[in-house]
Amino acid sequence: MSNIPRGIRRGLFGLSLPVYALLYLPLSVIAIFSFAPSLHHPGINAAAYGALFNDPLVLAALRRSITLAFGSAILGTALGTLMGFGLNRFRPATGGGFWAGTLPSLIIYMPIIMPSLVFGISELIFFNLVHEYTGLLSAGLLTMGIAHVTFQSPYVALVVYARLTGLDPNLFEASQDLYANPLKSFLYLTIPVVRPALIGGFLLAITLSIDDFTISFFTAGPGSVTLPIYIYSAIARKGSSPEINALGSLMIATVIGVALLYYFVTRHQQQRSRQIPAVA
Amino acid sequence: MSTMTQREGRSRAWRLWLTSGPGLFWIILFLLFPSGIMLGIAFFTNSDFGSPVLPLSLSSFSQVAGFGILGWSGANFTVLARSLLQAGIATTMTILLAYPLVFFIVSRPANMRPVLLLFAIVPSWTNQVVRTYAWMQLLNPFAPVSHLAQWLGFIPPHLGLMPGNFAVFIGLTYNYLPYMVVPLYAAVEKLDWTLVEAGRDLYASGPKLFFNAVFPQTVPGLLSGIILVGIPAFGDYVVPQLLGGDKAMMLGSLIASQFTFSPDWPYGAALTIIMLVFTCVGLIVFRRLTQRLGGGEGAML
Repeated sequence: MSNIPRGIRRGLFGLSLPVYALLYLPLSVIAIFSFAPSLHHPGINAAAYGALFNDPLVLAALRRSITLAFGSAILGTALGTLMGFGLNRFRPATGGGFWAGTLPSLIIYMPIIMPSLVFGISELIFFNLVHEYTGLLSAGLLTMGIAHVTFQSPYVALVVYARLTGLDPNLFEASQDLYANPLKSFLYLTIPVVRPALIGGFLLAITLSIDDFTISFFTAGPGSVTLPIYIYSAIARKGSSPEINALGSLMIATVIGVALLYYFVTRHQQQRSRQIPAVA
Repeated sequence: MSTMTQREGRSRAWRLWLTSGPGLFWIILFLLFPSGIMLGIAFFTNSDFGSPVLPLSLSSFSQVAGFGILGWSGANFTVLARSLLQAGIATTMTILLAYPLVFFIVSRPANMRPVLLLFAIVPSWTNQVVRTYAWMQLLNPFAPVSHLAQWLGFIPPHLGLMPGNFAVFIGLTYNYLPYMVVPLYAAVEKLDWTLVEAGRDLYASGPKLFFNAVFPQTVPGLLSGIILVGIPAFGDYVVPQLLGGDKAMMLGSLIASQFTFSPDWPYGAALTIIMLVFTCVGLIVFRRLTQRLGGGEGAML
């Protein structure tokens, strides 16, 4: 296919190697500095990791992050899958005009396009006002979860939509000919077919939740400090420390683990549809 | 149109809203509606506690334009110009880094490409705070990089490369590089190499071959990349906050401080409108360009 001359190929390799190095340099710095000597532990050591696992604040933040990621990802995947499915199957062939065509697309792209700062501050004001007038939704894990579902579901919808687009529409006709009602056809045809996209979308939703800081920061309450917020306030308070680097290293390792899982789950699908993994 | 197809069309629209409805309603309730409230708040007056009160006024917008109790100041314009400039420079840098990387990936055997692409994307899956924190440690006054810069005379002794504009530029470039790589890769992967062959047959070579046969085919990917990098870089909060300091303040930090340390909601909301206006203008301009140049959107909604 690509017939790039050998000389240029070498040049590309030479230019790309530093870019890859640049991408991984900061991550390695975090890992290396996590073993750095600190005040009470001279010499290269892993004391920071021990301190981490004995810190109740860190453990509480970790528990909150996991609860938030899984809770929001379950709801986000459910809502996103339904959106992707509905838009793919029931949008009229001609585009559906404004109400059934343009408007749903606009709404779905809204959370993706909007700068996360504007997103977070809008939610901050909204939850503040709702709490002031009704007493409901005080800032905490619940408001953070609501915000996370809002930005996860459009990404899941896009993944599911892309998967369904590559599908033969005759399959659905066939299931109708065999007297499957819409619910049955959804359960026994759509769900199995989109399962790779479903798992991929779920993992994407979890990654998005763990990766987010800005939106979480503005929707969090005093009792809902998650890991990113903990790290941010620790940096602001005392600058760099081996503990924060140890925590960062563990988060990087987790993300790389999830990324590899995502890759192996979707590899099967990729080979067929040559889909490109999403940036989160 | 017969009644049959009309009824069918109506039932399809009904099913569309039945399946997509809950998700769409969620986004409307928890994002569209809240951002509407925020836009409205810009027209209220600030109370002593930073919350919006009546009467309605445009005073927050004159504050945005730089008019305060102490007279006019151009500080806000400086912040806006700096944000645009930083976003522009960082986007340019990601383009320069992404092109060789993407062509390198495509020049490898097909079964290796997904892994190489994944390696370029994985760092972006790490939390932004962690990534930025890494650069804080790399650029601080005691780090070797800063010693080198001091020795070369780029910065005065005892000063680090952060906080400052340079650190923000590095942080933004690093954060958003994968967002340039992915759409560019999508464009380069389906490049029509027969055009390159044709160019070669016509004795074009080197830069001429690249700019006439290769580059035009990558433009749709490049434009999506510019949208994906430029817009979030312009509105970024974490990077300028951690790497910037006061002299490198960007619009994001200015907005956020109106809702945190010294609350002034109407002023903050008015600044947010400015950010949204620039975001939308950028989005529309680049979308038009993409449409004009015939960018395929593939499996997009």
